[in-house]
Amino acid sequence: MRKNRDNSQRKEALADTLKLPKDICLGAIKVELTGNREAWIENYRGILEYTDSQILLQGKSCQVSFEGTGLSIDYYTNEDMKVSGCIACVRYL
Amino acid sequence: MIGLLKYLKGYLRIKVWGLSPERFMNLCSNKGILLWDIVKDGDVYYMCIHLKGFRALRPIVRKTGTRAAILERYGLPFFVPELLKRKVFLAGLVLAVGFWIWSSLHVWGIDLTGNYQITRDMFDSFLKDRQITVGMRKSELDIQELEKDIRRQFRQVTWASAKLSGTRLQIDIREDDTTAGREETLENGAPEGEGQDVLGTDLVSQNSGTIVSMIVRSGVPVVSIGDTVEAGTVLVEGKVPIYNDDATLREYRFVNADADILLEHAVTFSDRLPGDYVKKEYTGREKGSHYLRIGDREWSLPVNRPFLVYDSLIRESRPSLFEKLSIPVFWGTATYREYRNVEYEYSPEEAESGLNEKLTAFLTTLEEKGVQIIEKNVKIEKDGGGWVLQGDFLVREPEGIGAATTIPESGDLETDEQ
Repeated sequence: MRKNRDNSQRKEALADTLKLPKDICLGAIKVELTGNREAWIENYRGILEYTDSQILLQGKSCQVSFEGTGLSIDYYTNEDMKVSGCIACVRYL
Repeated sequence: MIGLLKYLKGYLRIKVWGLSPERFMNLCSNKGILLWDIVKDGDVYYMCIHLKGFRALRPIVRKTGTRAAILERYGLPFFVPELLKRKVFLAGLVLAVGFWIWSSLHVWGIDLTGNYQITRDMFDSFLKDRQITVGMRKSELDIQELEKDIRRQFRQVTWASAKLSGTRLQIDIREDDTTAGREETLENGAPEGEGQDVLGTDLVSQNSGTIVSMIVRSGVPVVSIGDTVEAGTVLVEGKVPIYNDDATLREYRFVNADADILLEHAVTFSDRLPGDYVKKEYTGREKGSHYLRIGDREWSLPVNRPFLVYDSLIRESRPSLFEKLSIPVFWGTATYREYRNVEYEYSPEEAESGLNEKLTAFLTTLEEKGVQIIEKNVKIEKDGGGWVLQGDFLVREPEGIGAATTIPESGDLETDEQ
């Protein structure tokens, strides 16, 4: 566990030094929000759960949960997806 | 644009339910199948999927333990087979497109602009002689040859342009205003052909009167200001004598005489109106009829002789599709209006105004010719059963019309060889 954390810290430091984009180097989920109505998400592995009040996404190193009401997926591809509805909370698990 | 692409490729609205719909979506995205408008309603997920993607769904559905059902089909791949079932509609569509293409290969209208002396009838018969008619194929039309033919046929045309605009042939011509004068010159006996240019022209008086002003630009003046001349008198000669040092005549140089000459002469104008006239009085009774005309053929609703005495008013319209494609189909209405012929007698005021109108028209034509009116004496009198207008005018008019120079006798002319 500790070895894992050291490894990720080292990668982050390297990406910082070389000024490389972290979403590509570290595989971090990239979330872009427009107000609380729309969210564009990249770098995810898949959907774990989808209801109209919660969308749970699996990333490389963590999970992201969008909570709100009337949530729906406008489109879903291997690269990116768009979530729309009334987003109340974005939670990293 | 994306919407159009989706429509062209075809897509489906499906519903997915079962053990693990989320896994179904993940597998779809991993296989590159695009899903959109994903909505959950209870345990069922509704989404859109491309037709191609749907055909690759079977292994995914089996793997994830879900089921997929088509709700609606959208796009061209679904529309075309539906369309093919409607054979009459399709035949109509093909015929309409075929007719459109066929009709766009023909000339359906000929416009002529810029003609003043050449009447439309003259031009139409000229076109008919050259097999240029409404309905001919565009490919049979040689525009350059037509332009040459117009200039060859009508000598007064100085410039001709023809172009095809859609299915209309637009012909634009320019006429030479001075041609009329030249033609008169030819009628007066001037030699035709090349000799005419060599010999030059005189200016000849058309009226009898007194010369009040004279500015000669080329030629030799024969008369001077204050002279009284008769009609047909030569005013300016087109042969300019050239003398030897010993004052004998060496030769004549021929020019086209050119001068501004004002001639003062008397003009009379008389006109008469009969004592009574017949006027149409409409009774107000009208009957209408509709008709359809294609080319020269006409179909109309049968109408018996509507009234004893009537005239008809025809309103015709022609459809013009997309402005450029005009086909010779006309429809219209004919309105028959009954009238009575009523005889009236001219009152003195009516007679005066009627005759004055004629006089004004005469004076306008004089003014258009550049004639100045110096004195005017007009009388309107009742003569027998009618009214007579008698007008005497003293006018100043630009004078001088071109006529071929008289050829000097051979004895008068000395050449260099002598």
